[in-house]
Amino acid sequence: MIELVVHFLVLAGLVVSAVLTFYFRDLLAAALASGLFSFLISLEFYILQAPDVAISQAGIGAGLTTAIFIIAIRGTRRFEEGTE
Amino acid sequence: MKRNLTILLLIILAGMLLALAAGFTYGTPLASDMDDYFIRFGQAQIDTNNIVTTIVFDYRGFDTLGESTVLFTAVIGVSLMFRRFFGGEDDADE
Amino acid sequence: MQMSKIVRLSADIMYPFVVIFGLYVIMHGHITPGGGFQGGAVVATGAALVIVAYAFHDVKAMIPKILLYLQESGGLLLFIGAGLAGMLLGFPFFFNWLANSGSLFGTPIVPLGPNPGELNTGGFLPLMNIAVGIEVWGGLTLVILYMISGVGKEEY
Repeated sequence: MIELVVHFLVLAGLVVSAVLTFYFRDLLAAALASGLFSFLISLEFYILQAPDVAISQAGIGAGLTTAIFIIAIRGTRRFEEGTE
Repeated sequence: MKRNLTILLLIILAGMLLALAAGFTYGTPLASDMDDYFIRFGQAQIDTNNIVTTIVFDYRGFDTLGESTVLFTAVIGVSLMFRRFFGGEDDADE
Repeated sequence: MQMSKIVRLSADIMYPFVVIFGLYVIMHGHITPGGGFQGGAVVATGAALVIVAYAFHDVKAMIPKILLYLQESGGLLLFIGAGLAGMLLGFPFFFNWLANSGSLFGTPIVPLGPNPGELNTGGFLPLMNIAVGIEVWGGLTLVILYMISGVGKEEY
């Protein structure tokens, strides 16, 4: 029962973090929301009993991809320019 | 009108995918001959506990060799692209 | 251009723990979940933490580039060499020539089913894990280091 509750919480957090990634105009906050998405999907892999994929996703997705996004934001501008 | 039709088509396709996925029962794969062989003989043949590492590095070792070569090639490509920005004394021959 | 003092101090404190955990994942790759690629990615994450927190000039003095090149090339050479060493003994390429041999990494104690595990088992799987771990560590750190070298420079 407790596994099912944690499972639904993780799935709801996945949807919320994916929407937040598109919602933010501050690109640093959007990159951190993308990192949160990767962390939650690594937790989901762990719940589904695939710990190898979970460690790989936590290292590559939540760590290195967020670092590369932060480096790219440092090289360009921080805020997205509005189109409308 | 066209936008609503696109959304309706996406919903129908997603429903078909979910209906296809709901037909399987988890934990009992359809073709499990390879899995049974690895689980039955992996510990005795390769002499260790982690069956996943056994498959990745021993039974399917050539795949891991190709993966390492892909990573090596990717790093060489990035270092060729960014070499002019790095500077330093060992790149002074440009 | 570097980040604030809080970020730099946090990166300094977190770095040894992340590296030790990554080395643990590499060394125990044949017993617990994980392996060379995952452990190398964790160690490279620790290096990326320091690289993102500091400016490029400080990082260039901290991390020698030639060491990362040697890690990258040496890891791949060790990987291929461990496969080729079996051919000198008369086995096929990539044959597990150390398993059940009684020497290094060859203690034949593993029964069928769940058991506590022993570090000195696995044939050449620990060698392969160490080789791939060293290669992924050097390669991913080199990618991050090269990417931060282009920040703030306009020439192309």
